Amino acid sequence: MNLVIGYLYPDLMNIYGDTGNVVALQKRCQWRGIEVEIKHISVGDKLQVGECDIYFFGGGQDQAQQLVSRDLISGKGGVIKKEVERGVPLLSICGGYQLLGEYYQPQDGQKLEGVGIFPVYTEASNTRMIGNIIIETEQFGKLVGFENHSGKTRLNQGGIPLGRVKKGFGNNGQDKQEGCRINNAIGCYMHGSLLPKNPQLADWLIKKGLEVKYNKEIKLQLLDDKLELEAQRVAIKRFS
Amino acid sequence: MKKNLAVVVGKIVLFLSRTLRIGGGAAAPGYYALKVEPDLLNKLIAQIPKNIIITGTNGKTTTAKLLTHFVKTQGLKIIRNTTGSNLERGIVSALIAHSPLSSYDLGIWEIDEAAFNTLAPKIRPEIIVFLNVSRDQLDRYGEVDSIVGKWRVTLQSLPKSTLVILNADDENIASLVESAPGKTMLFGMKEEQISGEIKSQPKKGRSLNIQAYEVITNGLSGSQFKLSSPNYQLPATYYFPLPGLYHVYDALAAISSGLYLKLDPQKMAKSCNDFSPAFGRVEKIKLSETSQAIVSLIKNPTGATQVLNTLAPSINNKDHVLLALNDELADGTDVSWIWDVPFEELQLKHAKLKIIISGNRAVDLAIRLKYAGFDTSSLIIENNLSKALERSKKGLEGTLFIFPTYTALLSLQKLLAKQGLKRHYWEEK
Repeated sequence: MNLVIGYLYPDLMNIYGDTGNVVALQKRCQWRGIEVEIKHISVGDKLQVGECDIYFFGGGQDQAQQLVSRDLISGKGGVIKKEVERGVPLLSICGGYQLLGEYYQPQDGQKLEGVGIFPVYTEASNTRMIGNIIIETEQFGKLVGFENHSGKTRLNQGGIPLGRVKKGFGNNGQDKQEGCRINNAIGCYMHGSLLPKNPQLADWLIKKGLEVKYNKEIKLQLLDDKLELEAQRVAIKRFS
Repeated sequence: MKKNLAVVVGKIVLFLSRTLRIGGGAAAPGYYALKVEPDLLNKLIAQIPKNIIITGTNGKTTTAKLLTHFVKTQGLKIIRNTTGSNLERGIVSALIAHSPLSSYDLGIWEIDEAAFNTLAPKIRPEIIVFLNVSRDQLDRYGEVDSIVGKWRVTLQSLPKSTLVILNADDENIASLVESAPGKTMLFGMKEEQISGEIKSQPKKGRSLNIQAYEVITNGLSGSQFKLSSPNYQLPATYYFPLPGLYHVYDALAAISSGLYLKLDPQKMAKSCNDFSPAFGRVEKIKLSETSQAIVSLIKNPTGATQVLNTLAPSINNKDHVLLALNDELADGTDVSWIWDVPFEELQLKHAKLKIIISGNRAVDLAIRLKYAGFDTSSLIIENNLSKALERSKKGLEGTLFIFPTYTALLSLQKLLAKQGLKRHYWEEK
């Protein structure tokens, strides 16, 4: 078996350790004998439906984000939306999450149109929400990470959050919700890097990617996650 | 007068913290003195005839120490914040420790890249040196674009007489030329750029005041380079005992400052050669007759990448490596940056290398190494730094490479001092 990981805008949207998520997906595939190809997709590159089996989209600086926003609107955004609709898994963090929502309203200046995959919208704020974050999710149990954002994201009616904030700010620091899920796509504010410390989430993305690609149920071989789970435990103990 | 009272308060705190061995008094005296007189920095600094500020993400301490070395060898009396304590309280602490200040010729201040904006107007420096800028502790500093934006605003508010010395090979820094209030001086290398953080293509054709060429890096034994300048007569070849290109940039920054201060170029070349590194900046420490430690701070992706790129080729199978990752405020509470550091390089040549991992986020680092391809059964995780150091020294017949984050470096310094292997940092020259 093989998987193609589409790494969206790695040159512009990799502000702090986002690459760790792609490394985690890659290694966890390779340790199971699943071949992996990582495709870097950036401004100006073409993207077609069916080209990638998992997408990752990280966070960037404001200037970079505007550049990326324009590129998404001019075509790639629509392709990614179609992919998500057919069940291709996607993980987007911070800036990537915001850009895949309905819009981003900066403090001053024009609204940035989003791709509209997640039923969420984000407004800039003066408070920077920084620190370790722990959330409780139905499907993945506890997830741990580090958030650093000033955008406040809110879910539309009916939007499904990724989880409930146990420690930290989450989407907006107010409603205790963190992230958003639709089909097999996840958007959230959790750096850290997220996937190396939350292997259950990494494996779910891999499993979904394979299932969509090969159109059958997949059972992933178990890995020794002693260290990963220990890091999770340490983080939960240290920060709750 | 409030000022005098504040200085006395600071002196008492300094005395207490040293006698009680709480620390070196690098920040606490300033902290309490500023409570008594918030305007203390302004008032004390005015007594120093000339001040230099050194800022940037990486290399501040080394550059400041090298410039100090140049200046001292040529007989000037200087004052500086020696301990890397580069916020307002650190500078005020240094001023208090050295007061009365009337005999000093020059102040050399390394300043935190965020604190720069409030401190530069108070210090009113003659020279400002900008070394480089890259992602560092986003939880504290914010994004690179915003750091540089704030620098621009601050620079424009300073007097025209301020000289701004810029690293022309870091485009974010070079572009500050347009915001400098008056004179500028650019240094750089003929064929090198700093890799990592430059997004836009560097503008070609900026003329350099100090240019290094024929730069040769000789592993752990340091580098050599030649300099050319349209403005100055310079000696043929410089030898600098700190390894890596990134240290050559620090040397260029210090030499540029020295030239502006009219220091003798011949003597500077000689001082370059006999320079010994600052606390934890590729510092060599003798452990026994057959073993030594090399301590090199790692604190952000660019700096850590430069350190590994430079030191990894010198690491042999018989050496040991001690990595220590903390997430205290001074380290940055976000440890994500380790995923941007190519730890893979430690692994390639040395399948059997003994690696000890410590610090309060040791497990995070262990996972990073696991995903970098290390065999996890060979990694030793020991959160307690003192125990980790002992385990690292055990059976060592070569070099122990120690890569700590900032607060881990401070703890190590204390441990090594206790064992008599190193002086307390406040006793260092």
